[in-house]
Amino acid sequence: MLSLVHDSRELPAAVLPDPERAALAALDRGNAEEALSVLMRAYGTIVYRYCRQMVGNDDLAEEIHQMTFIQAFEGLRKFARRSSLRTWLFGIARHRCLDLAKMSHRRKRRFGPLDDAPEPPEPGTSVEERLAERSRSRALEACLHTLSPRVRAAVLLRFQQGLSYPEIARLTEEKAPALQVRVARALPLLRRCLEEKGMAP
Amino acid sequence: MTHAITPGKTRCGRFEAEAVLLLEQGRPLDEHFSSCPDCLAERTAYERLREELHSLGEEDEPPAGWQARVWEKVDRRQGRRWAPWWRRWILPIGVAGAAALAALFLVRTPATAPPGLRIGIEAGETVRRGTEAQPGDLLQLTATTGDAPHTELRVYRNDTELVLRCSTEPPCTRRGEELSASVVLDGVGRYQPLLLLSEDPLPDVASDLDTDTNAVLTSGAGVELGPRVVVR
Repeated sequence: MLSLVHDSRELPAAVLPDPERAALAALDRGNAEEALSVLMRAYGTIVYRYCRQMVGNDDLAEEIHQMTFIQAFEGLRKFARRSSLRTWLFGIARHRCLDLAKMSHRRKRRFGPLDDAPEPPEPGTSVEERLAERSRSRALEACLHTLSPRVRAAVLLRFQQGLSYPEIARLTEEKAPALQVRVARALPLLRRCLEEKGMAP
Repeated sequence: MTHAITPGKTRCGRFEAEAVLLLEQGRPLDEHFSSCPDCLAERTAYERLREELHSLGEEDEPPAGWQARVWEKVDRRQGRRWAPWWRRWILPIGVAGAAALAALFLVRTPATAPPGLRIGIEAGETVRRGTEAQPGDLLQLTATTGDAPHTELRVYRNDTELVLRCSTEPPCTRRGEELSASVVLDGVGRYQPLLLLSEDPLPDVASDLDTDTNAVLTSGAGVELGPRVVVR
């Protein structure tokens, strides 16, 4: 049985105005637990959204999302401060998502694709606009999944998360110009995919 | 440069061929792109695509209780971590010595079991093992509370609804250091059992697993998470 008794996990109730500074200050005090609490509160949702779009599955996204913060905790004391903690977290999440994509690719090659589980019915589907919006999002999600995982990661980091190319380059250890070309090539593919689904942007 | 998009209709292809990359590189576009109607329309379409990508997944939220589960896994992994090489020798020797002393001491002192939480699921004539259950099944909780003066059993459904909370009063039953209770799993969802242990009275509840767990940890109390039960 596990114990969660850790005084250093205490956090003030107020929202932290500068999570980067608060987390780094906690690390300076040698308190990685407080730093992780700050990061989970500040970046938990955006990292989850990125994972969700990368893997396209709630359960897997939940697993990778949690794994990202667990690995972050294990690496926090060695955090080199060459990037923001936010960029660093996205780097961990991206690695985990790409690992999953590789495993899934190997499994498909050996055993063939599994049938996808049926989507649960949407709650509150009475508003037409909401439905239309939802189906646009679904179409875009499906189109994103026609891209390779590396390209999908770059597109999401650039547009969904608003990271700059130098930031993405740092976390992917690739060159920014190569990433720019990759994303610029992906955008027309996404657009055409949406057009084919009758959802031209 | 033109290319066909639909039969009988063509459009200027320079925007996709040149401008999409120039915009990603943060470089200026030449005159053509501000005067060519096709390119202007293309630019609007790509800006819309960027906006849609930006708002993609805006409704997605991590499941409630995820922070508690991260801490749980962090603790589990830390418990499993390899010790440094010198500790592999020093620690067993120390532990063996301490165990010998403890054995001598325990001959005369009654043992205090460490705190823990076990669950069982009862369904009429059959008992399902593991953490899968069906609506109507009975979730039984049995906790060892050690010597903590304030203890509580709780069960949250879907991390946002408190369906069981008791201490010494029914439905909790206390026998020595053992605290037990049962609750009917009357709907589908995920049920998270918790044992809370504290030296001081426990804080009020907000019926949200994350909020309540943070409040309990902040007050200096301990939390034992039981296995999550999924009712389908």
